[in-house]
Amino acid sequence: MAEYFIARGLPVPPELSNDPLTRWRRWLAIALTMLVFYIGLRITSIDLSYANPEYAGRQIAQLFNWDLTLLTPQNEFETFWDTAEGKMVETIFLGLVATVFSIIVAIPLSFLGARNIMAGHPVTSTIYAAVRLLFTVIRSIDVLIVVIVFSILFGIGSAAGVIGLAFHNVGVLGKLYSEAIEGIDAGPLEAITATGATRFQVVWTAVIPQIFNPFISFTIYRFDANVRLAPILGYVGGGGIGIMLFQNIQLFHYGGAGLIIFMIVVTVAAMDFASAQVRKRLV
Amino acid sequence: MTAILSITALVKTYPSGTKALNGIDLEVKRGEFVVLIGLSGSGKSTLLRCINRLVEPTSGRIVFDGTDVTAASGAELRRIRRRIGMIFQQFNLVKRVSVFGNVLAGRLGYRSGWRTIVSRPSRDDVALAFENLGRVGIVDKAYARADALSGGQQQRVGIARALMQQPELMLADEPVASLDPATSHSVMKYLEEINKKDGITVICSLHFLSLARRYGTRVIALKGGAIEFDGRPAEIDERRFKEIYGEDAVEVEIGPGRTRDEPLTEAEAVLRSPDLTPER
Repeated sequence: MAEYFIARGLPVPPELSNDPLTRWRRWLAIALTMLVFYIGLRITSIDLSYANPEYAGRQIAQLFNWDLTLLTPQNEFETFWDTAEGKMVETIFLGLVATVFSIIVAIPLSFLGARNIMAGHPVTSTIYAAVRLLFTVIRSIDVLIVVIVFSILFGIGSAAGVIGLAFHNVGVLGKLYSEAIEGIDAGPLEAITATGATRFQVVWTAVIPQIFNPFISFTIYRFDANVRLAPILGYVGGGGIGIMLFQNIQLFHYGGAGLIIFMIVVTVAAMDFASAQVRKRLV
Repeated sequence: MTAILSITALVKTYPSGTKALNGIDLEVKRGEFVVLIGLSGSGKSTLLRCINRLVEPTSGRIVFDGTDVTAASGAELRRIRRRIGMIFQQFNLVKRVSVFGNVLAGRLGYRSGWRTIVSRPSRDDVALAFENLGRVGIVDKAYARADALSGGQQQRVGIARALMQQPELMLADEPVASLDPATSHSVMKYLEEINKKDGITVICSLHFLSLARRYGTRVIALKGGAIEFDGRPAEIDERRFKEIYGEDAVEVEIGPGRTRDEPLTEAEAVLRSPDLTPER
């Protein structure tokens, strides 16, 4: 290809002129990659010699031998809310409540974390940077770790689950909302400012209409994700159906565990489908 | 005639180091239709935006109807801004909101922050909105979404929004640069009407000298952030034109829609000839 350009006296495009990986470099890169992979294998010391397919097969079969007694109250002290489907409903609402809490905190913060709203003054620019840093720090802590920390504070139960999940979501939604605000058309802001409106009026009339749909879309996406996360939170002390799953596995009660896993899969798939449908209609 | 706007030694240097305005001295009288011309980057937009402080001037003084704009802040600045209407090249309407909602937004400077959220627009504001929509001929589109309108219609909504402020001065930043020639004339005629009938002073930046000659009562040419020419439109001849736009510039005409019986120019005749096949 390069000859075409050379023959016509044209500059050769950099993509053609030199190959970034010359022959010896290419071999070195391959050798290094393989070496690192080999070291990784040695360090993790994967050992498959303990695998027991026969035992595993029996246990997996147990997962499908569903214990349907979980679906009904077992004595006069238990109610619907102690059954597996009651716990499932509770878990969905755990995700919902966590989403609502995080929206309430994330919306005001997201305006403080939007560059186009906060630019132009050293104080506001500093607030912008601080809020953005806060979002990043919050997001970098995995939601499971957050819930473990909150279960130390609030004890094992839905308080730790809801507040932990909400905390994590402030970081995620805050970032998504801020970026939606930064992505708006700046022209109307300029025009509304020119009419003599206050900064608040500018945000109300020129910013809110532009961010309404993206906000709804991001919120539904996070609600969906939270319902998906909520069952796992029970595992680390966050309440809901996860606690029940955890207990059943600890007691080698795989018939119950299998039923719960199936219920979670169905719920999550249904939420996923519903959220995709709603968001498709919005955009 | 008294001066509505007087600008002294106005300098604007952007943080990037670009010197957009290099000492502008200018006095605009009430009722004038001032056209700003000059190459892209000559400082037209910056000058217009300094007048209502959308852009913060580096130094210099701007006095609007006896009030120092450059010294004003907060509520005082907003009171000045609401007396100065502005329209934009990209119309700058809130796209997802109805035409009516966009026009009402022109009234924001007269309402308090909380009333914006809590209360519905007053009867007077609604009446004024429809009056202004009627003036620019788009009452029938009042409840359409702003982005459903054509470019020319959107600019007319922009004019109606600015008229809601009941301004004494109208700033227009390249109002017709995104429009076709016929629509350009219709928008310019609305500006001419508010200038002549309502006595609103207009400062309008334009790309086409023919439009400047047709609508302006005074032309100011900017070059490198300084005033290169200031006078009547008819005074701009070939030599002045080259001074403003550079030696290589050729004037482009933007005429009114051609009537059927006028002969075609040579170039148009060539373009319209049916046997002309585009060359690859």
